[in-house]
Formats: sequence, C-alpha cells, structure tokens
Amino acid sequence: MEPSSDEALCRRVANREPGAFDLLVERYQERAYRIAWSIVRDREDAKDCAQEAFIRLHEAAGSFAGQSKFSTWFYRILVNCCLDSKRRGRGWRRLLVWRDAAADEREEDPVERHPAPTEDPGERVDEDRQLSRLWDAVDALSPRQRAVVLLQCREGLATKEIAEVLEMSEPTVRVHLHRAFATLRTRMGKTP
Amino acid sequence: MTGPFASMPHPVERLLPYRRGELAAAEAAGIAAHLEGCAECRATLADFMAIAGRLERAPDPAPPVQWGAFRAELREALERRTGRRRAARSWRFGALPAALAAGLAALVLYLGIPGQNGVPSGRGPLGESTAVDNAALASRLDLITDLDVVQQLDLLEDFDVIGRLDRLEPTGKS
Repeated sequence: MEPSSDEALCRRVANREPGAFDLLVERYQERAYRIAWSIVRDREDAKDCAQEAFIRLHEAAGSFAGQSKFSTWFYRILVNCCLDSKRRGRGWRRLLVWRDAAADEREEDPVERHPAPTEDPGERVDEDRQLSRLWDAVDALSPRQRAVVLLQCREGLATKEIAEVLEMSEPTVRVHLHRAFATLRTRMGKTP
Repeated sequence: MTGPFASMPHPVERLLPYRRGELAAAEAAGIAAHLEGCAECRATLADFMAIAGRLERAPDPAPPVQWGAFRAELREALERRTGRRRAARSWRFGALPAALAAGLAALVLYLGIPGQNGVPSGRGPLGESTAVDNAALASRLDLITDLDVVQQLDLLEDFDVIGRLDRLEPTGKS
C-alpha cells in the first residue's frame, strides 16, 4: 500500500496523525459535494451532507477494514448521510434561506457565466436546452435512482461498487439502473 | 426478433452492464446474440447509451463552492463534535464520580462535626468515649519516641501489627 494512497491516509486518520485528515478532505471534497448535490439537489444541504460524511469518516476511520476500496467505503457513508438528510426533510431551510439559486446566478460574474463561444451559438443553445431537460429529468428521479445513475455516469462506479455503496445486491442495482434510464428515456421523448 | 437467442425474454436490466463489460463471458455472449436478433433491445440500448454519454460529458451542474470556507466550516464542526464528546466523556467518567466523592465528603464532614445531625458534642456516651480515646492517645505519646518502628509504613498495612503497636518492643532497646 502506498503511503499516500487513500487507504493508507485513512489509517493515518485513524491514528490521529496530524494533516492526514486534511489531505483526505482535500482529495475528496469536490467528489463528495458533487455526489451529495446530485442526491439532495440543494447547495447548503449538499455541503452539510459532505461535511457530515467527513466527520463520520474521522470518527469511524479506525473501523475501515480495507476489504473494499476506500472510495467505496466513503461513498457509502456519504450516500447514507444524503439519504438520512432526505428522510429528515430539510425543506424548512429553503424557506429560511430564500436567496435562491437564481439570485446567486444573477450575482455571478457575467463573463464567467458566459464564456467565449467556441461553437455555433444556435447549436450551443439547443445543446444547453437538451442538457437542461435531461437534468430536470434526473431531478425527478427518486433519490436512490438518482444516486445509482450518477454514481455510474458521473463517478464511473461499476455496478458491483454501486451495490456496495448503497448496500444493495447487484441485481437490485441493475433494476434501479434500468428503471431510471427507462424513465429518463421516456421523459426525453426518446431523443436524448 | 430472429435467431436462437431471440426467443429469450428481453434482457433489459442487463443491457447496460453488458455494454460496460461487467457480465461474465457466457452471459455477455447470450446478450450479444439476443441483440443481433432484437431491434427493440438494440434501440433501448442505443438510447440508454446516448443518455449515459450525455450525463458523463455534461458540465458539472452543482453550484460552485468556496473550498477554503468549506474546510473551515468542517474544521469548526469537527471541533464542536469532538469537544462535545470529550465533555460528555469527562462528565461520565470524571465529573460524576467527582461530584459523588464531593457529596460523600460533605456528608462525612457534616456527620463528623460534633453537635451536628444528632451526633453528641463531647457530652453523653459517645462524647465521653471520644474523650477517653484522646486521653489514651495522649498517654501513648511514647510511640513517637519509637519512630523507627512506626516509620516502617508497610507494617501499618498489617492491622494485626497495628493492633499490637503498643506492645511492640522498640528496636535497639532490647
């Protein structure tokens, strides 16, 4: 095992070696947030879930047996945090934090928001519209189906790894995947 | 649908794993044969792959995050959590026994003060016995002259020896 592999870092976190936890956080923060966001679909909730997952990782690092990849083990913690959060329902936060995403978008730097076009603007608009529809369709999936689809398509996990992360059997993951893709296909009008 | 594998039920749930190379060789061969003869499954797989391809290539839809602030918040949350746990542990293993010990000491002191809580203040049977004990102690001050015996502290653990202290011959005198 390499000294800087995820698994080795996790052991160092378990031994409370200074700096190991920070290193692991830096390595996984973006993936953790992205996965959390893809499940909970709310920026603040996604941040909370990712942070909670890192805290649980810190607490449970000693129990990582190394039988699976560190990423699989950590994603399982993360997805559980997200599903817990969905179950608890944090809709109230959206009522309190009424600075919505649209407002944030309006405040963004317009140059960053609209990078210089490198292709036909007409095609670009069409592509954006298609993508927007696709993400809307993904949004409408159940959290578990969304997790299955995004763990496969965005994080490149194999069915076996998704099964470990979500604590399901492989056939169940296949059923979720198929149903999710069939739903997306229908919602995209068979022209994805 | 044509061919020997065409009559199998549509293996819809295995189309994506097949395309991703996750199936065993024999199973994959069966799916490949079915696909050759089944236009419906070919169309389904093509649509699924198109959706998957779009999702893989699409820019990240998650709103941006300031990672420095994210880590700072995480550090604070972690410190709060570990601090709370430490406090809870010290309450369980430290504060409670300490409080019990303090309470017990207070009770002993309270009961030990003459005249408190029904304990006589030197007069009456118990008070008299205390006075007798004090007198006995005063009469045996010679023990202090036998310090070499008394200073053998390990002897003090032997209650039998303690009980016979006044009868011990001082060392070096006999």
